[in-house]
Amino acid sequence: MKRADSLILLLGALALGACDGNSAREIRVVGSSTVYPFTTAVAEAFVNQGGDRRAPVIESIGTGAGLKRFCEGVGWEFPDIANASRRMKKSEFALCEKNGVGEIMEIQIGVDGVALAESNRGPGLKLSKRDVYLALAANPLGRPNAARTWRDVNPALPAIPIQVMGPPATSGTRDALVELVIEPGCEEADPQAKALKAAKDSAPYDLRCKRIRDDGAYIDKGENDNLIVQGLAANPNAVGVFGYSYLEENHDRLVGVPIDGVTPSYAAIADKSYPGARPLFLYVKKRHLRAVPGLADFLKLYTAMWNPKGKLAQRGLIAAPDDVRAAAVREVELRTPMTAEGLH
Amino acid sequence: MNSPLPAQADRTPTDWNAPAMQKRIARRYAAERRFKLFGLAAVVLSAAFLAFLLATMVSQGWRGFVRTDVALTIDFKAAALPVDRAVLRTPGADLALAGAELENTVKGAAATQFGVGGEDAISEYAWLKVREAIKQDPTNLDRAVRIPVPASTRLDQALRGDGTAEAQALAERLKAAGLVSTGFNADFLRMSDSTDPVAVGIWGALKGSLLTMAITFLIAFPVGVLSAIYLEEYAPRNRWTDLIEVSINNLAAVPSIIFGLLGLAVFLGTWEVMGVRFGPILPRSAALVGGVTLALMIMPVIVIASRNAIKAVPPSIRDAALGIGASPVQVVFHHVLPLAMPGILTGTIIGMARALGETAPLLLIGMRAFIVQPPGGFTDPATVLPVQIFLWSDEVSRGFVEKTSAAILVLLAFLLAMNSLAIYLRNRFETRW
Repeated sequence: MKRADSLILLLGALALGACDGNSAREIRVVGSSTVYPFTTAVAEAFVNQGGDRRAPVIESIGTGAGLKRFCEGVGWEFPDIANASRRMKKSEFALCEKNGVGEIMEIQIGVDGVALAESNRGPGLKLSKRDVYLALAANPLGRPNAARTWRDVNPALPAIPIQVMGPPATSGTRDALVELVIEPGCEEADPQAKALKAAKDSAPYDLRCKRIRDDGAYIDKGENDNLIVQGLAANPNAVGVFGYSYLEENHDRLVGVPIDGVTPSYAAIADKSYPGARPLFLYVKKRHLRAVPGLADFLKLYTAMWNPKGKLAQRGLIAAPDDVRAAAVREVELRTPMTAEGLH
Repeated sequence: MNSPLPAQADRTPTDWNAPAMQKRIARRYAAERRFKLFGLAAVVLSAAFLAFLLATMVSQGWRGFVRTDVALTIDFKAAALPVDRAVLRTPGADLALAGAELENTVKGAAATQFGVGGEDAISEYAWLKVREAIKQDPTNLDRAVRIPVPASTRLDQALRGDGTAEAQALAERLKAAGLVSTGFNADFLRMSDSTDPVAVGIWGALKGSLLTMAITFLIAFPVGVLSAIYLEEYAPRNRWTDLIEVSINNLAAVPSIIFGLLGLAVFLGTWEVMGVRFGPILPRSAALVGGVTLALMIMPVIVIASRNAIKAVPPSIRDAALGIGASPVQVVFHHVLPLAMPGILTGTIIGMARALGETAPLLLIGMRAFIVQPPGGFTDPATVLPVQIFLWSDEVSRGFVEKTSAAILVLLAFLLAMNSLAIYLRNRFETRW
């Protein structure tokens, strides 16, 4: 039949189209949902600068999944850049080497804070790392967590129920909460923590200092941080955990909860006096710099936008200290590859 | 029969007026009324849910279709942008104007004109509107021009009485000066994704959805209908065809995420056969791979619906056609298929509607990406409407709330259009016998 012929022709044409579509490829970025808003802002500016640039494609799949895909290999089907809200792990670096990814550039784009916040109609909690640890850990000091109200944790706090809304276990933000607030809190509160950490078997330490309780006091709100913001607005007694940019955007509804007397703010996170501060990174394949058109320009634009008064700061990125920024700019210019040194 | 028949003598006529009988009749009527009431309540409840959903979406989403503009006066003559006029007629105009710090000029103009915090009154992409105006008429560069540019989310919210004190004050000032105007946001239907809620548009996602649906239809419809015809009209009835039937029914009930994993493994995976590496067959994030994956998903639905429709065609029609000398192929294409078409189309549209609203499998094959430009073709990176809604619902900026609702309205309109088309086609092909 004639119609069937034309259908086959059409499908054939599509298949051909699939082949030649890859010769001049767009920039591909994968990784952290925390870095996503910044990379998308740069991508937009990159396209708006004009010329016939192809729009970069940015996927937000989480730091771990992003680095895994990044390290799968070199070539048109693999991403050029990985967004990461933590440093690359030693195992990930080894995976990259095994798959022949070649030299990688590590660029710190700025700092982000894991902010604890409550509704501006809330009780005005003032917490310490120790309080957060005792309230949220599954087994503080080796016993199952029985604290129901903040007063159970610290007599100085009000007797309101512990309700903390935060991201799920797959989230980098939650990893950062554990690493930056709960673990140090554990080490302050538990005299045995240091010995356990040094021990060869990490399971007892993880159980005591890393596991978050799952009996309802920590409320998993999913990856959508707007749900946490809405939840806080509806429940003034609850505390929320999210990236600092969400607090910045909702200043009329939320206030930051001070930890150890430091309120989450731009300045406090930038100078690392706020405990929930963590660096954000881009990982770039050097071998793709030559092959993918515009990739070098894209990085250059990134460096131009990450200043304290730059466009990324308006989106909630906290600029890295001057010396870190200068070093990163030099790295982009000289294309300095990273080494495995200092990775965990 | 184990109960003995009553004796003839005992059969007195039923006394319908006796109290016992009247009670039973009343109970029957009551049961009837109750059932009717339950049915009505069920309909009212579902209608109420639908009305609630629509009312919420429309009340939140209509704002996504309007935009507030601020009239900005820029004195280009004074600014003296270092731009070669000849370049403005060429494709290099964008780059030249961007390089001439047009963005800062626009911001500076806003700051001087609107006073304190003035640069916050205009959207971040306001300078793109100015650039368009200059490209349209390069002589603009030699005079002072008044150009309406999009207001920022901050100002927009302040104009509605929901903002910080200084933004409110600025809003009042601009309103008093008569610089603010609100109108239909055509850009929302013309542009693609953006990080600025003022600048976002639905066109990129809508085009992605259209391209993906086209691929899905082109693959699922012919393959599904041909399988149904073969299974109904030609295949022998034996254990193998039974097995195939059971598998197809099972496949129709498989969760969509499984198809996403399948698509990821088959179309985007790499294999090594005898030392030669085969790359991915299809490009990641493209409408092509999304369409093929969704086609796999809805094919069983089409096969089942088509088989039922073909089964419903009376055998007498086939027998009559065969009897006057038609070949089996002629019977199928001249008689059975046209009669079964309404049922087949209904099943196809149900499947397509499911594919249109599907998010899970597409997330796995990379169609959840942020892309500033609409896809140019089937192999370009694209996103689709439901994924765009999902992405916007997770955005930091509060301006995205109304854009999310507006995108949902567009998706609903798309679905409505598809279903109307289905009803039209069904009525057109409807035949009675």
